[in-house]
Amino acid sequence: MNRLLTVVEEAADYSFAVEYNGPPLPYEIPRAVPIDVNRIPLAAVAPPSAVLSDLPVVHPLPSPSTFPFKKRPPLPAPTLILPVPAASPTSVIENHDDMDGPDADVSGALGSSGFPDISTELSEVVESSGAVGFSDDLGYDATSSNEMVPNRLSTDSALSSELSFRSSASGGEDEAVATQAKRALLVTFRESGQSGDSMSPAIGLPLRTRSEELEMPIKRGACYRCLKGSRFTEKESCLACDAKYCSGCVLRVMGSMPEGRKCVSCIGFPILESNRERLGKSSRVLKRLLSSREVQLVMKAEKDCETNQLRPEDVCVNGKKLTLEEMALLKSCSCPPKLKPGLYWYDKVSGYWGKEGHKPDRIITPHLNVGGTLMPNASNGNTGILINGREITKIELQMLKWAGVHCAGSPHFWLNADGTYLEEGQKNIKGQIWGKPIMKLLCPVLSLPFPSKAANPSGEEVNKLFDRAGSECFDVKALQKLLLVGHHGSGTSTIFKQAKFLYRSVPFTEDERQDIKLMIQTSIYNYLLILLEGREWFEEESLNEQRENQQLDSSGDVISDKQKKATEFSISPQLKAFSDCLLKVVASGKLEDIFPNTPLVEELWNDSAIQATYMRLNELQLLPSIASYFLKRVVDISRFEYVPSDIDILYADGVTSSDALAYTEFHFPPLSCAGSSIDDDDQQETLFRYQLIRVHSKGLGENCKWLDMFDEVQIVVFCVAMTDYDEYHEDSNGVVMNKMMESRRLFECIASHPTFEQKDFLLILSKFDLLEQKIDMSPLTSCEWFDDYSPVVSRHPQSKTSRGVPIGATKAQQAFHYIAVKFKRLFFSMTGRKLYVVQANGLNSDSVNAALRYAREITKWEEDRLVGGTVDSMYSIEPSSFSH
Amino acid sequence: MSFSELKDRHVAATAMVNTLRDRLNQKRQQLLDTDVAGYAKSQGRTAVNFSSTDLVCCRTLQGHTGKVYSLDWTPEKNRIVSASQDGRLIIWNALTSQKTHAIKLPCAWVMTCSFAPNGYSVACGGLDSECSIFNLNSQVDRDGNLPVSRVLTGHKGYVSSCEFVRDQDTRLITGSGDQTCVLWDVTTGQRISVFGGEFPSGHTSDVLSISINSSNSNMFVSGSCDATARLWDTRIASRAIRTYHGHHGDVNTVKFFPDGQRFGTGSDDGTCRLFDMRTGHQLQVYSQQQANNDQDVPIVTSIAFSISGRLLFAGYSNGDCYVWDTLLAEIWAFGGHRKVI
Repeated sequence: MNRLLTVVEEAADYSFAVEYNGPPLPYEIPRAVPIDVNRIPLAAVAPPSAVLSDLPVVHPLPSPSTFPFKKRPPLPAPTLILPVPAASPTSVIENHDDMDGPDADVSGALGSSGFPDISTELSEVVESSGAVGFSDDLGYDATSSNEMVPNRLSTDSALSSELSFRSSASGGEDEAVATQAKRALLVTFRESGQSGDSMSPAIGLPLRTRSEELEMPIKRGACYRCLKGSRFTEKESCLACDAKYCSGCVLRVMGSMPEGRKCVSCIGFPILESNRERLGKSSRVLKRLLSSREVQLVMKAEKDCETNQLRPEDVCVNGKKLTLEEMALLKSCSCPPKLKPGLYWYDKVSGYWGKEGHKPDRIITPHLNVGGTLMPNASNGNTGILINGREITKIELQMLKWAGVHCAGSPHFWLNADGTYLEEGQKNIKGQIWGKPIMKLLCPVLSLPFPSKAANPSGEEVNKLFDRAGSECFDVKALQKLLLVGHHGSGTSTIFKQAKFLYRSVPFTEDERQDIKLMIQTSIYNYLLILLEGREWFEEESLNEQRENQQLDSSGDVISDKQKKATEFSISPQLKAFSDCLLKVVASGKLEDIFPNTPLVEELWNDSAIQATYMRLNELQLLPSIASYFLKRVVDISRFEYVPSDIDILYADGVTSSDALAYTEFHFPPLSCAGSSIDDDDQQETLFRYQLIRVHSKGLGENCKWLDMFDEVQIVVFCVAMTDYDEYHEDSNGVVMNKMMESRRLFECIASHPTFEQKDFLLILSKFDLLEQKIDMSPLTSCEWFDDYSPVVSRHPQSKTSRGVPIGATKAQQAFHYIAVKFKRLFFSMTGRKLYVVQANGLNSDSVNAALRYAREITKWEEDRLVGGTVDSMYSIEPSSFSH
Repeated sequence: MSFSELKDRHVAATAMVNTLRDRLNQKRQQLLDTDVAGYAKSQGRTAVNFSSTDLVCCRTLQGHTGKVYSLDWTPEKNRIVSASQDGRLIIWNALTSQKTHAIKLPCAWVMTCSFAPNGYSVACGGLDSECSIFNLNSQVDRDGNLPVSRVLTGHKGYVSSCEFVRDQDTRLITGSGDQTCVLWDVTTGQRISVFGGEFPSGHTSDVLSISINSSNSNMFVSGSCDATARLWDTRIASRAIRTYHGHHGDVNTVKFFPDGQRFGTGSDDGTCRLFDMRTGHQLQVYSQQQANNDQDVPIVTSIAFSISGRLLFAGYSNGDCYVWDTLLAEIWAFGGHRKVI
């Protein structure tokens, strides 16, 4: 038989059957009756409790002779399996029919009677049970259906596979196979039905609601799923519906337990109050089933899961529903009350805590800022004596009398947490209630609470406690992410490093410094290399010149060729070898190999040829402007002992050697310049943490592949170097592009990226100082984007005040405004939103500070806009210490 | 030789290469008389047909608070490692859906993760340009974090993809945004060989995905932003064995066919393609015949084959997941999940 069913494809979840090509079959192929969805009984979905009484509950089968179905004229063979309906889902069909019309009998439910042969009959039975299974599928999501339908533990896998056979195969052969298999299964079925003899169809129904579940007649102590076991077998119960499962079924029913021990169907429902004690306490069953680590995780999930928590709105203190914060406060105080849903009163001054309408239950930590004001009738007293505005009960009066308090004439007392009491409106303390040792014995007699020692922190401490809790929970929430991007050389790395210097107590760790040192040394070799290349170029150039000169005055004196070739750019063969070696090494990317090589570098640097080339530094386009800063100190830097100074770090190119993303977290320290009164706003700011993420533009690739990873940044800070307008950059394809255009392209790309659709953009225009130097030499119009730049030239361009400060806007400032407007227009045309622009100079810490603070302001505006004027309400959830 | 002369030569050579490439493509088109779908149809195969009940979400693994970027199975298919934007790697028991480990990463921007063949360590890589290896058996530190057992540094761009070599526990191949793939020795943390980079046959853009041949672990294929996939032999680092053209967009994902003789690719152009490893032919294109042939074709972000290879699961950027019949190139099902393995 197995040969017939050839499973060709097999993956995790499905299987396919191929067509049967074997010899013709001697027997008739049984056909499955298609499932009519309308005919599928809906009992599984939701039988309301009222209807449930109408459902015929199949009683235990004491003996086959009393079995009601026996009365029916039995079919030849199926009688063997007819008891099955009592336990199998086919009985659900019967019930359904009973609901339709009491006269209908089982054969009607089965669809047709008088089957030609046994196998067909069998398959029919199987089919109908399959149909029930299918209806469950409809009522449920497919995952849980298998697990939620008990009784068919042994068959459900077979059933589902059979379903897939029917749907996938065209030949009916496999059905016969399935039927064969089913015959065996049905037998086991009946056996199981007989052994667990108290089954009802309702058990087959998924546990939808708790009320429904309560009405289910389940044998006491049996597992709710497999219906086996006695009350002595170890079981685990669902926290939400209290259904008990034996160890074999727990994992099947509860699945991954994302909310702890709950049936899959109960996930999302609150737990039963009676089970609250059990939260987070694992059981033996669980420990046996799972590894200790997994148990730990489940217990953690159970305890921390939000739906398992007591909902704050369920608890009412002094007639006011608790908020989340108050709830947390109550739970975290040193003497917490036992919290269950209900109405409570709380005496803030003395710490008395009780159920509404009852005497005090316990004394909790006083001075908690929880709930409303205490009502006089909170404990439903009738003595006329008030303690802290609450009319006390008789039993409390008794205690007061024993404590030696004069209670004649229904006085009103103020009772403090330490037990001192005084008459209302008076200053002098009249006595100490808890002072007498006898009180400790008397209170339990009256079943009144007695304060524990730890219950007396001062109000300040409590609030501090809350402060801490508040700021901790706030810390997690308030991580504001700033994404810093910019084209290569636009100063992003400098700004990033400056931010580190500004806001971090330890700007760079030892490792980072080592990394930067390596980076600087690498770049210095690169600079040298560029110099060497430049030298060769110059040498050739001057040689050519010489040759031309020679040709010009060829008739003149004869100078030996050798001498002629020795131009001022020539170097000695030894250095030549070194430079060749350097070239090779740089080409292979293994710069580490030649570190440190100070003597040679020194020699090279001091060579007149290199110095001569260095003189013509500005002719070398490739050399970044920063190179001269390092080249001047090349000998120092190439030393092994070299430690980069802070300035060196700032000047260095890049943050990490691998072009990786870099990020740093920081607080904005409160502005000290604000003087004596630091405003509330700034104080709150210290609660916010900021994360500056700097992304290397090179890694972004053509179409910014992974920008969607940054969908939670608050603001995108884009850097553009203002000096870029006349600088050119050659990309890998040899296409020369203006750097400003390149920046613009990147900006467009990022600004139009769907991830940043709703994000704010801040444009930092950097290198203003260099622009000032440059603007006079090369006009802004050298960039094609800026060709309509026509500055209003003041009539006295060189006029300055007596102190040498230029009057009005300088050319550079005009240029800055112009570029800013250009970008703003571009941004507006793309997104229709406003672009914020700020000017900064990476090497100037103040300007970076200002720029980043501006970014912070923007994020705050954004928040305000979201809150929509209800800024106050947003702040009201913050610690109460700010609200006084 | 002057500079301009060189430049002219370069231009001429580029043109030459392009014409040759065109001719090659034409020749390929000629030779490629049929594709898999056509052949399968002519053989009278019917498409795999299954109803919605056959593809069932087995388990939903809950626990990540950020987008899940990558996941990998152990060879025994009983555990899963997933990498998410919340900065955590989570190791799941695939059978019970329990979390066995949660590893907090030093850098939250993780793009890829991979299980070692022995199942005792996991590797992950991301925007920090490093590939970090965690040993699952090592002791947790005070904060309950698993320490990094090895960091592979050397990439000059983000690590987009990593995979352990199947039969060698200590070897790992990474693909990176610096246009190279690197074979690492995990125990020493050294690069064994670099594929691409300055070699002329390397990728000319970011490598986005790699896949190691399941039957011959010396072979692996890489997909890149240059719209090509390249086949490499780990023993020959100097050149790619073969380059596969065909896509019109970045190749986001490559995956070897279970038999190791062909591989599938998924691309920004919204198509998946099946390439033959040996002949270099494109065997099949899986693309949606869209009535509205507009700009926003959803891009293929990830693909996976069924164990038999008959089915190709493709995840699209719009959140759909299509199941393709690899033989007939017909769509069978689609769901709404970001990533399917």
